[in-house]
Amino acid sequence: MDDAQFVAALIRRCIAGDAAAWEEIVQRYHRRIYNICYRFAGSSDDAQDLTQEVFIKMYRTLNTYDVERAAFMTWVTTVTRNLLVDHFRKTKHDRMTDSLDAPLSEHEDAMPLSDKIEDNSLPPDARVQSRETKESVHHALQKLSPELREAVILRDLQDMDYREIAVVLRVPEGTVKSRINRGRAELARLLQRTYKQVM
Amino acid sequence: MPGETNKAIQCSEFDALLTEALDGSLAGQQLERFQAHAHTCSVCGALFAEIDAGRRLLHSLEEVEPPVHLVNNILAATTGLDTTRMHVRGRVAPAQPSWLDRIQQWVAPVSAPVFALVRQPRFAMSFGMAFFSISMALNIAGVKLADVRHVDLRPSAVVRQYHITTGRVVKYYENIRFVYEIESRVRDFKRATTPAEPAPTPEQHRKDNGNTSQQPEQRQERNYSRGDNQPILASAPDGPPVVSASTIRRFA
Repeated sequence: MDDAQFVAALIRRCIAGDAAAWEEIVQRYHRRIYNICYRFAGSSDDAQDLTQEVFIKMYRTLNTYDVERAAFMTWVTTVTRNLLVDHFRKTKHDRMTDSLDAPLSEHEDAMPLSDKIEDNSLPPDARVQSRETKESVHHALQKLSPELREAVILRDLQDMDYREIAVVLRVPEGTVKSRINRGRAELARLLQRTYKQVM
Repeated sequence: MPGETNKAIQCSEFDALLTEALDGSLAGQQLERFQAHAHTCSVCGALFAEIDAGRRLLHSLEEVEPPVHLVNNILAATTGLDTTRMHVRGRVAPAQPSWLDRIQQWVAPVSAPVFALVRQPRFAMSFGMAFFSISMALNIAGVKLADVRHVDLRPSAVVRQYHITTGRVVKYYENIRFVYEIESRVRDFKRATTPAEPAPTPEQHRKDNGNTSQQPEQRQERNYSRGDNQPILASAPDGPPVVSASTIRRFA
């Protein structure tokens, strides 16, 4: 049984009310959804709330998923993306009143595993610089427009192909490519402007 | 001209090939032409460098670890159940599900989303406020929940209770000072508007003494009318002592 068939069986069991199947789905996809939310929203707290909301929405609408139309991963990403866009619209006012120079330390609560485990192969200065660079990139990502941000997150952080991204964003593949390249260039410019040493 | 010149490919073509070049899918002559344009055209070359730098920076970001309690929170928010995985691990042999479990499994697809909705803080707050309001209203009305079980619900008892309650309400209403004053004003007004009864002649008085039929009623009526208009002193020689209507009311 390949992965798609296994997932389809899981979904069928889940719709039939099998709690263990639903738990398996949560275990399989929560990391990916959390990462998309974290990179899009910027904070660990928001990412947790959004991930939870995504799963609540999935739980309610799981029976609307059509196996023939798209892969389950694409459907999950679409649900996540739609919820992130809603969240972005709802919190627009809050962001406008927030300081544009928020401290970088607010992202320390969601470090990658490699940062939590000490890497002794690098000297301490290099480790600090590497962590600072990642925080700067994460911070710069929040300054991109949501259209560019979601495109680069799905491509460069989630490794989705252009066709899948086009399905999720509901735009043509050419637009997807253009947004990805504009997002990457804008990110580099932002970092070049703020932290010249990063480049 | 830096934007549009160049030997092999145009800037528009360079733009179209950017994604493939960054993904490493360009090869052979096409790659050479692309690279040649990037070296010769300052605009396209700078753009390519920026995009490549942005891509490398994004790739430097690693996957973050979700909080350990996230899965439990999600399961609690969706199914209302804690993770089953840990329970399954600890189990030696899978037990036969009881009839209660079967009912729960059968009802879960419908009940779980409802419970998940109801458990939200805004609903909890609404329920709390509703409970508080109802208890306050019952408390003000003097209803004690402990007394409810002593209530006799037989039809005869209900009818009797109805009459007792009605009597209480009427009595309470008539004893209100304002109501009483209005009633007495109305009575005074009626008396003032009705013509005065002529005083009985001595012959008639004598004749009345011989005839006792219907006397008490007549006398009582006369006494009431007299008592309201002019107070009768205890030493008055005519008739028995009469109390005024206000006195009757007061001692009723």
